Amino acid sequence: MLVSWRYRERKSLIQAFDPSAWIIFYACFIVSTMFFWDLRVLFFFLAIALVVIFTSGIKWREMYRAWLFICGFVVFFSLLTFLTGRGGMEVYEQEHTITTLRAPFTLFKWQPTLDITVERALFALSQLVRVFSLASMTILIPYSINPAHYGITFHRLGLPDKIAYAMDLTMRFIPTFGRDFRLTMDAQRARGYEIEKLSGGIISQVRKLAPLIVPVTIHAIAGSEDIIDAMDLRGFGIGRRTWLVQLQYRMRDYVLMGLAALILIGSVIASMFGFGKFWVPEFLLHMVGG
Amino acid sequence: MAMVDQAPLLQVENLSFRYRDRPDYAIREITFNIKPGEVLLLAGPSGCGKTTLARCINGLIPRSYKGEMSGRVLLRGQDTAGMSLAQISQNVGTVLQDPERQILGTKVINEVAFGLENLGLPREEILARADAAMEHLGISGLHDRDTFNLSGGEKQKVALAGVLAMEPGLLLLDEPLASLDPASGLEALALIRNLADDGMAILIIEHRVEDVLKVSPDWGLFMMGGEIQYDGSAAGLAEAVDYREVKLPAQIVLERAAVDPSPVRLEPLLGKAKADSEPLVQFDHVSFSYEQGSEVLHDISLAINPGDVIAILGPNGAGKTTLVKQAIGLLKPKSGEVLVGGRDTHDLSVAEIASTLGYVFQSPSHMLFAPSVSAELAFGPNNLGHPPEEIKKEVQEAIDIMNLSGMEEDPPLALSFGQQKRVSIGAVLAMRSKILVMDEPTAGQDYKNYMDFMDSILLLPSFDAILFITHDIDLAVVYANRVIVIDHGRVVGDGRPQDVLSDYEILESSRLVPTSLLDVNLEMFDRTQCFMRAEALAHFPSNI
Repeated sequence: MLVSWRYRERKSLIQAFDPSAWIIFYACFIVSTMFFWDLRVLFFFLAIALVVIFTSGIKWREMYRAWLFICGFVVFFSLLTFLTGRGGMEVYEQEHTITTLRAPFTLFKWQPTLDITVERALFALSQLVRVFSLASMTILIPYSINPAHYGITFHRLGLPDKIAYAMDLTMRFIPTFGRDFRLTMDAQRARGYEIEKLSGGIISQVRKLAPLIVPVTIHAIAGSEDIIDAMDLRGFGIGRRTWLVQLQYRMRDYVLMGLAALILIGSVIASMFGFGKFWVPEFLLHMVGG
Repeated sequence: MAMVDQAPLLQVENLSFRYRDRPDYAIREITFNIKPGEVLLLAGPSGCGKTTLARCINGLIPRSYKGEMSGRVLLRGQDTAGMSLAQISQNVGTVLQDPERQILGTKVINEVAFGLENLGLPREEILARADAAMEHLGISGLHDRDTFNLSGGEKQKVALAGVLAMEPGLLLLDEPLASLDPASGLEALALIRNLADDGMAILIIEHRVEDVLKVSPDWGLFMMGGEIQYDGSAAGLAEAVDYREVKLPAQIVLERAAVDPSPVRLEPLLGKAKADSEPLVQFDHVSFSYEQGSEVLHDISLAINPGDVIAILGPNGAGKTTLVKQAIGLLKPKSGEVLVGGRDTHDLSVAEIASTLGYVFQSPSHMLFAPSVSAELAFGPNNLGHPPEEIKKEVQEAIDIMNLSGMEEDPPLALSFGQQKRVSIGAVLAMRSKILVMDEPTAGQDYKNYMDFMDSILLLPSFDAILFITHDIDLAVVYANRVIVIDHGRVVGDGRPQDVLSDYEILESSRLVPTSLLDVNLEMFDRTQCFMRAEALAHFPSNI
């Protein structure tokens, strides 16, 4: 059976809007953010994300796990880019070294060296801001849209009945998968299985994960067969369906969608004129004497 | 309440079906019909073809499940072969065994309205019909609740309302009692009777014949090996079938078993308690609540002692599973402590506890993964570090007890639900833990199968104690030497079966319903001095 995200009715900015309008705003936000590497522009998007977060009305206790995950994820990848110096190759050509750290040892005649450059540091920071804005806007959605409205929300975006309902089921599949994973984990631990004791090479480690992966996968497949049967038995997909839930756009929804369109169009035009590319402040270059 | 002059609503004629990937026919030459207002009981052991027959009637065969089909299914005189699923679904409403697998809607109202939405009806009509269906089943109060937070009984009523809203002429119920506590089961049966009296034709597939007889079905069918073995009055069904195959009322078993040879008396080996020994598991003022939400267990103190065979009874959602999960350390108490072998579960890993306490989860599909049954059974003992020769012996024994021989090399995931359930119990048996804990061991099993493996498990000398969670009072009557009743997170009864189960006040408040077997046992208790199964009572006192 499908379970839902921890949605609750809240007095929040997101929930003040129609869910379809919000999805449109969200999509425009995501696409627009992707055009830019300029930290000054990214801070604009970060500011939007922060306003949405702080007006979401979701308590820290409710979603601290999600935040920890996002922060861990974002910091890890930014750090990885910073340390390897890869990832930013396309956006900057020149590097200005601040300092170079050399490891006091060698491995097979190779001495690990870390060049700390202005560009790398700024690129890592830009990436951090960018990914954090995208991830936090995404994670807020399941907490803020009534699960009973998923189907109609997608249907109103112009998707056909079948695809809209499939999106509805998909949205709810994720937390269901999480629940099944926990149940399987418990069942296998009760059989003396300890995931902490995984050892060996990658392949044997993956093989040792089979007791978790196989039941969860099979359960998901069997569960989707049940869902298909249950839908068939009640005449799903025979023609145009009525959606019981009715949603109405209000003035503010049109304003939001207009704003979304403006941001998107503005971003497209700005990037066409080469605005918003990776930016290195002059004074930093002066500081390192470049 | 059959109206003789009415035309049959459903006619099944010479129906046979073979699944595409199976060599044998699942059903063969089935013929019967149902008229409006009739209740037909279809009984039979698992694998007899009941589910296949149901799929042929509701149209999933041949539309979703392919294979070779011959014969005809007629609805109101029309061959369903030419109908779409949508047309059939307006005539045949199906409620699956497990409402969990059927409910799609997020809120109750969405679920009930789902079929009507698909038919493209106007909103006002959908709302009116959905409200009427909920009203009829007495669940109007659930209107805006989240479906996944409902109790088992509520879920089933919601699934039923979703089907009734489509106003089918025939209602197909696949084991409607399987996931319900006894009181909810009785309510469901009363509802079914009402629907039939209102003119709906009803086909109930159920192996708990005893319970279904309470709605006085008009006809009974008994299927075995894909064929109809009995077709006649429902009362006659109880006379015609083997009382060891399906669950019949105790009085009937008593009469019929009296003329059969006396059964071998089973003496549980672990039943010989060492009275002065230390408790195996001790709950000391345990309270527990999940992350968000109110307290689920309140101040529970009890001990599991060597020799205990404990049945844990209680309504859906009373906290039975939560209680048992404390013992294996999957959940740790918020206050108080749980001691396993004298050690606090806070200081033990689940794997460490698993060597003392083997826990069989409710749903087998959450644990089966191995390429073969043998490998599946060897997984637990392997994790616990048993030596290879030892594991071989343990696996073989589990196979024998759970009646799995011949399937050693089969992938568990390809087996039927009942067989999977047995594999999952076998997988824990093979670990040779000192305490065996089973959550709903009989769910999805037919009567003969679960009685057989319960018999074998109790005869195992290797356990110090056995504990099982169940809705089935008879299981407690036949097997337990101690009964614990949990209600609203508290222990409301704990003692010998004859003491706890004779207190009808406790039973009633915990949504338990006395069974015919319990009644007979209580009647004869002055003479027997212990509870026993109907076959044994039939030969009392000669078999003592």
